[in-house]
Amino acid sequence: MMENAWLIPLIPLFSSVILLIFGKQLRESAAYIGILAVLVSFICSVIVLVERIDAPTYKQEIVWLVTGEVNITAGFEVTALNTLLLVMVSLVSCLVQIYSKGYMEGEKRFSIFYTYLGFFTFAMLGLVLSPNLLQLYFFWELVGLGSFLLIGFYFYKKEAKEAAKKAFIMTRIGDLGLLIAIILLFWKTGSFDFQEIFSSIGAGEISGGMLTLIALLLFAGAVGKSGQFPLHSWLPDAMEGPTPVSALIHAATMVAAGVYLVAVTFPIFSASSTAMETVAVIGGFTAIFAASIALVQKDIKRILAYSTISQLGYMMLALGTAGYTAGIFHLLTHAFFKALLFLAAGSIIHAIHTQDIYKMGGLWKKMRLTSPLFLIGALSISGVPLLSGFFSKDEILVSAWVNGNFLLFWIAMITAFLTSFYVFRLFFLIFTGQPKTEVVSKESPFSMVLPMGILGILAVCSGYIQTPWFGSYLGEFLVKGNKFLLVPAHSEGPAWIMAAAAVFSLSGILLAYLIYVKQTISRNFLIKEGSFINTTLINKYFIDETYYFTVGKTVKGLALFCSYIERFVIGGFEWAVTGTIRSLGSAGARLQSGQVQVYGVAVFAGLAVLVIIYALTGGLIR
Amino acid sequence: MTFLLSVLVFSPILGILLLLLTSKQHESNLKMFGFIGTVPPLLVSLILYQYYASGASLADFTIKNNWIRFGNLSQYDAKLFTVDYELAIDGFSLVLVLMTALLTSLAAFASHSIKKEWKGYFVLLLFLEIGMLGVFTAQNLVLFFLFFELTLISAFFLVGKWGFAEKEKAAYSFLLYNGIGSAILLIVIMILFARAGTTNIQALTHIITIGGVPTIAPISATMKYALLVGLVAAFAIKLPIFPMHRWMVMVHVEAPTPIVMLHAGVLLKIGAYGMIRFGMGIFPEQFKSVAIYLAVLGVINFLYGAFMAFIQTDFKRVLAYSSISHMGVVLIGLGSLQAAGVQGAVFQVVSHGLIAALLFYLVGIIQEKTDTSLISDLGGLAKTVPRLSGWLLAGSFASLGLPGMSGFVSEFLAFLGLFKSEPWLAAIGSIGIVMTAVYMLRAVLDITFGKEKEKYEHLTDLNWLQQIPAGILLLLIVSIGVYPSLLGEPLQRTLDAIMIGIGR
Amino acid sequence: MTEVPLSAYLVLALVLFCIGLYGALTKRNTVIVLISIELMLNAANINFVAFSRLGVTPSITGQVFSLFSITIAAAEAAVGLAILMALYRRKKTVNIDEMDTLKH
Repeated sequence: MMENAWLIPLIPLFSSVILLIFGKQLRESAAYIGILAVLVSFICSVIVLVERIDAPTYKQEIVWLVTGEVNITAGFEVTALNTLLLVMVSLVSCLVQIYSKGYMEGEKRFSIFYTYLGFFTFAMLGLVLSPNLLQLYFFWELVGLGSFLLIGFYFYKKEAKEAAKKAFIMTRIGDLGLLIAIILLFWKTGSFDFQEIFSSIGAGEISGGMLTLIALLLFAGAVGKSGQFPLHSWLPDAMEGPTPVSALIHAATMVAAGVYLVAVTFPIFSASSTAMETVAVIGGFTAIFAASIALVQKDIKRILAYSTISQLGYMMLALGTAGYTAGIFHLLTHAFFKALLFLAAGSIIHAIHTQDIYKMGGLWKKMRLTSPLFLIGALSISGVPLLSGFFSKDEILVSAWVNGNFLLFWIAMITAFLTSFYVFRLFFLIFTGQPKTEVVSKESPFSMVLPMGILGILAVCSGYIQTPWFGSYLGEFLVKGNKFLLVPAHSEGPAWIMAAAAVFSLSGILLAYLIYVKQTISRNFLIKEGSFINTTLINKYFIDETYYFTVGKTVKGLALFCSYIERFVIGGFEWAVTGTIRSLGSAGARLQSGQVQVYGVAVFAGLAVLVIIYALTGGLIR
Repeated sequence: MTFLLSVLVFSPILGILLLLLTSKQHESNLKMFGFIGTVPPLLVSLILYQYYASGASLADFTIKNNWIRFGNLSQYDAKLFTVDYELAIDGFSLVLVLMTALLTSLAAFASHSIKKEWKGYFVLLLFLEIGMLGVFTAQNLVLFFLFFELTLISAFFLVGKWGFAEKEKAAYSFLLYNGIGSAILLIVIMILFARAGTTNIQALTHIITIGGVPTIAPISATMKYALLVGLVAAFAIKLPIFPMHRWMVMVHVEAPTPIVMLHAGVLLKIGAYGMIRFGMGIFPEQFKSVAIYLAVLGVINFLYGAFMAFIQTDFKRVLAYSSISHMGVVLIGLGSLQAAGVQGAVFQVVSHGLIAALLFYLVGIIQEKTDTSLISDLGGLAKTVPRLSGWLLAGSFASLGLPGMSGFVSEFLAFLGLFKSEPWLAAIGSIGIVMTAVYMLRAVLDITFGKEKEKYEHLTDLNWLQQIPAGILLLLIVSIGVYPSLLGEPLQRTLDAIMIGIGR
Repeated sequence: MTEVPLSAYLVLALVLFCIGLYGALTKRNTVIVLISIELMLNAANINFVAFSRLGVTPSITGQVFSLFSITIAAAEAAVGLAILMALYRRKKTVNIDEMDTLKH
């Protein structure tokens, strides 16, 4: 199957094209085609994963374009990291497509939705399989297009339009960094190919400063895609898209592409300590920054979006502190529990048609299936012992500790506390207390509950592939046979970290319980309503406003400046030239009086002058 | 076989004859014959491509007949001061000829929106096609110039008579700017002819680059620079390069849409073609030393066009400035003097031709349906005309350089080249890549997304016939984007020759 | 019989030409202007004939030329008068000052 791994992305593309052409006729049965295609992809991915466990990396390429003396190639590659991501992406995509069948029911553009989903899945799977940076960039942008189309799915909503535009443009700013990094790498190493780039870096062919620059530019791409500070603000806005999309793209797959990029180019980063530190610091800062915003938001999807940003920061922190396995591990577990949380949120929104958590309440008894599944997700993300999030978070904390960066370690610890607090604030406000809306809420259909159930199981179990107790299968699988990856499969840290992490997360839950259920502690205990900090947090640190007044105004100003040049400098010059010619012309025209005899006199006078000159000079003018 | 190129260039005459025999009033017949007239060149160019693809040498198609002799110097050299009728084709020309033939057919197809005097319109359109095909196959500068002028004259009338509100102004602006360009070009050609005694491109290349051939009068090094600068200036107006671009914006706004498709798709490319074929081809040494200025101008064009497009209120103006911006990419590629960069420039010539034609085709339909192209007047079109909006969105993504479409390949290659030779300049220029997304999405999303306007509730969507041109263009754009060797292969030999010329 | 010298013919032609020129440039009546132009043409004819007989290389060409010139002058007068007639019918005047429709 590994030789035919290239089929995995193409199947969803094929379904997407079919749906684009025949969507109108198929109506809601479009879902079956989409689901079937991605299911086949998923099965193939699993087969490839199983084969890869005992086989070396497989790679196949064709010449894509000859430029100068260089052949640019395209192809696919089956590495350890690839296969894991293949399985994760196709699984989540498959589950989300099943879920969408229920969620999007009655939507007019049902088949279009599945067209987009198929296209996105194609792009994401293609991204994962890319054997070189150029191809990765190729799919990287296509993924962005898929995300753009799906965020703007409700195109008639102004917010959706703005959000789609913002998402595309902000990620493109990061992508520019990635593009420049790719070009620089090409000129320094003569290739786009990962293996060749890593070997020339290993041979020390690139100077340290250049390497740092390249790594930082690559990271800029990751920052854009993964919604890291300072390019994070598109991700919460992207929640304007349908909720299954948020689960698939803006929680599990596309936003993780940034983390994947750093992981896949890890040898470049690990060769530059400055770059590693930057990754770690940006990751750590984003983690606590986004978590703090999530504390006060009231839109359920936005809270989850900030939580995603925060968790992605966690992953970056892991990678920046050389916790390669930890980063990938958290990427996988996060994909499952965050997708679960989003789908559960979608199920709630589907039932009561609001996203404001202050308008929810008392849903525990009404949604007998959604509620426990949401709880599983919430427990897992909070890092409650024995669930998947607990193990992956522990792995990250250990790697930060081992790396010796204690400030970042404690930031990560506090973030863990904040995370469990805001997630359970969400949980208690939605599911406990009195119902605040009259809407009769009922449980969602089976097609929506089934994917949540599967994700629930994964959110519980997926942690056991890498535990300090049973062995680090994941780490060994990733590190084995990869000669460019100089990291241990598992970092050993002091045992108290695990205990401390558990205490931090449980105390977050406890605090949320005391505030929002028991109400023994005032809601103003942490942050006073109306205080400066509260306004700042509700307004997300005024980042959007800052961008509007700096970047937005600068671009507008430059554009106006250009139009002044156009109008006054170039236009003025044109005016001067045409004006001169025009006035010369009208002066000449005045001579033409229409009086034939005047012309005759002029001719005669001219002749006379010539004759006089002739006579004076005595012959030809010399 | 040698007759094939003559047939190619002059085959539109068939259509012209057919049109002349048709009554002035017969609207539908005239439109049909006008379209039929563009089919023979398309077929011939496809036959040529077929020969090429099956491995035949394109050199077999070269035509060379005696034509004009000036003076009586044959006792010295039989070829001295003669202008031959000579046509030839290579990979680069072939690609452009194919594109010209295709775009003219599509433009004739899109001409159903023309409201008056169909006879004159289609006759001029076919003359325009003769001019364009001739420009890409002519092998000496005089013949090139004649065809070049033919395009100018027919385009002038097409813009001035069948355009929108300010058509006359636009047509005169077009004529004046291009007239200046032509004049400079003619001076350069005449100096070369007077001094070298020939205008054959190969002979001139040999005389200028290698030398050792006795000429009527010597061409000094300074004069070579002056000639190159003249050539570049002449083609810069056509391309157009900042600050000589204002005519082009006016033409794009005022000309009838099928003509804009051709203008943006092919006529602007003559500037790029001339710069590559004559500038780089005949004066490689001199070109190398002015390349940096071209690169700077290219970056200015790229950014200036992008910023201007950002604040336009008329969608056609957005597209016009976007064309200016994208022509900057051609200069960036050429100015880089790298194999990748030059390849990018050539790719951009083709790619932008297709993308601009697609976008103007669509904007023409929008204007026909809604009587406006002002962004603020439009909005929410995706609700009532989803297919039209879908094509428009696809076109705009092609324009902003999305991978998988041809625009990405050319932009990427051009910047790949420039980052090698001028990294800082390239870094500044690359801001334009983001700006392209900004202005393009702003304009297109304001048109298609958002709340639908009541007055557009009853618009009818594209029928399958109207989707054919868009489909063909998008298919080509995507094919080149997904597998660029499709285009890279025919261009390879031309590019190699150019790169050897500039010694890289 | 002494031959009339060349200069006499030339002076005659000169006088005729000057009279014609004066008339063409100053007279208000268009008919007189036309007649004056005929005078100038005839002055040229005299020169042709004179040079054909008394020039450096005498030949018949000059006389042939003068015949051509006379014919053309006749044709020209016909066309000129026809135009004048047409103009007169329109404007009811032959005053040349009023015929300035050719101005810019």
